Amino acid sequence: MLLKIAKISALVALATCTLNAGGFDTQAEKDRTALVAYSEAKFKDADKNRMYFPYSTDDELKNNFPKNIKHDAFALGSYAFNSRGKSQYDDIKEMPPYEDAIDEGEELYSKKFANGKSFKDCFPKTDIAGEYPYFDDKKNSVVTITSAIDECLVSNGEKSWNMKKGKSAKLQAYFSFATMEAGKKVNLKIQSQAAADAYERGKKEYYSQRGYLKLSCANCHVQGTGQRVRAEYMSPLLGQTTHFPVFRLKWNSLGTLERRMAGCNKDQGENPHKAASGWMKDLLYFMAYMSNGMAIDGPDIRK
Amino acid sequence: MKLAKRLLIATAISGLFATSSVAGNADLVKEGEKIFNEKKLGNCLACHGANGKDINNPGSFGPKLQYLEAWPEDALYAKIYDPYTTNPISAMPAFGKNGWLDDKQIKALVAYLKTIK
Ligand code: HEC
Ligand code: HEC
Repeated sequence: MLLKIAKISALVALATCTLNAGGFDTQAEKDRTALVAYSEAKFKDADKNRMYFPYSTDDELKNNFPKNIKHDAFALGSYAFNSRGKSQYDDIKEMPPYEDAIDEGEELYSKKFANGKSFKDCFPKTDIAGEYPYFDDKKNSVVTITSAIDECLVSNGEKSWNMKKGKSAKLQAYFSFATMEAGKKVNLKIQSQAAADAYERGKKEYYSQRGYLKLSCANCHVQGTGQRVRAEYMSPLLGQTTHFPVFRLKWNSLGTLERRMAGCNKDQGENPHKAASGWMKDLLYFMAYMSNGMAIDGPDIRK
Repeated sequence: MKLAKRLLIATAISGLFATSSVAGNADLVKEGEKIFNEKKLGNCLACHGANGKDINNPGSFGPKLQYLEAWPEDALYAKIYDPYTTNPISAMPAFGKNGWLDDKQIKALVAYLKTIK
């Protein structure tokens, strides 16, 4: 009898849980599906869809952009459509400059803290890159992989690390690589009203004009995708988070998503936001959700 | 004699003005070109190519600039000051209104833009 009650309540809990999941992510799923449709339509045939590329040259529309780019391919960022850039990218990928960083990340993962514990105690599994960022209802806040690493350090009496580069980026490279090896995908769930609210805040930030330039992220990474800022093609929002951390030639080192964001804040003419700020976490939650279901393929290289 | 002297001074002064205004204009164009190209100044190059100008890697976010020599100066000034007045959905930043470029800098830019064919 008792067992039966337990079983029933477990079932009910399960049912409400799935029901809720179905409810709270409705808007996010709508947004994500629309973004996939927009991105595929825009790059179905750039030469014919000139309204999306009013100021691009004939040459790039005819000779550089491939046709029929599909959903998963956008994980490559601007290399999804910049064929000429892609061949340089492929060359560098043959001897990726981030390989040592993955090994160093692996060492950091098992290295003991002063208290005898290690990251293994905070992150029992390593193929976890697709599970971040997630919304923690108890903390009432988004947890990014960067902030989770920091919390693990602090709760074990260790000093915080730089959240943009160095050890944190290396440990993330190790997680990302393990996740890719395991063939796992971005796997985010929005399971509460508070999580849905965080998503909406992030979305609002992505579409808000900011800084003296009054540009939004979307100006450059939704409408602007495929257009160039100087010689640099702007990557699509779709698939923008699947491959971090990245080794940027400009940095000549590995950097986290938070590090890259600081650069884009500056591009907008805005002072960069702090890596662990609520602003950053909400925004990354929204961005990662747009890549939901896409394969994790980090670490990667970028110019 | 007095008159001749006066005339002489007057021509000297106006000569001075004339030469300085020619030099001033060339300087202004140069200054404007610098503002156009430099990242920390106008950074117009990020979005625009410019017809007849030898510039590296202009962006394609905005149109390639051409025939600007035919634009009235105040129209160019207005475009840089606040592009929304002529195009409410422009993706171009309002450099003057947002306080990024001052009056002098915008005037220098206008002088440079007037050299774009
Ligand atoms: C003025 C245009 C501009 C604005 C505004 C802008 N970016 Fe970018 N962003 C770029 C360019 C150019 C790059 C480098 C090329 C690329 O997209 O990979 C870039 C790169 C990125 C990348 C790295 C993509 C990758 O695959 O490595 C991310 C993530 C990103 N931007 C997010 C944002 C966010 C979020 C905002 C708003 C807070 C924003 N950007 C605002 C121009 C912009
Ligand atoms: C972030 C991108 C961006 C930047 C930076 C930018 N522009 Fe523009 N510009 C545009 C876009 C988009 C248009 C087309 C829409 C419009 O006319 O407002 C445009 C249009 C113009 C035009 C009108 C061209 C025509 O033929 O109608 C002029 C002139 C111009 N820009 C000058 C400048 C100058 C000077 C600067 C630097 C101080 C600058 N722009 C910086 C995006 C930009």
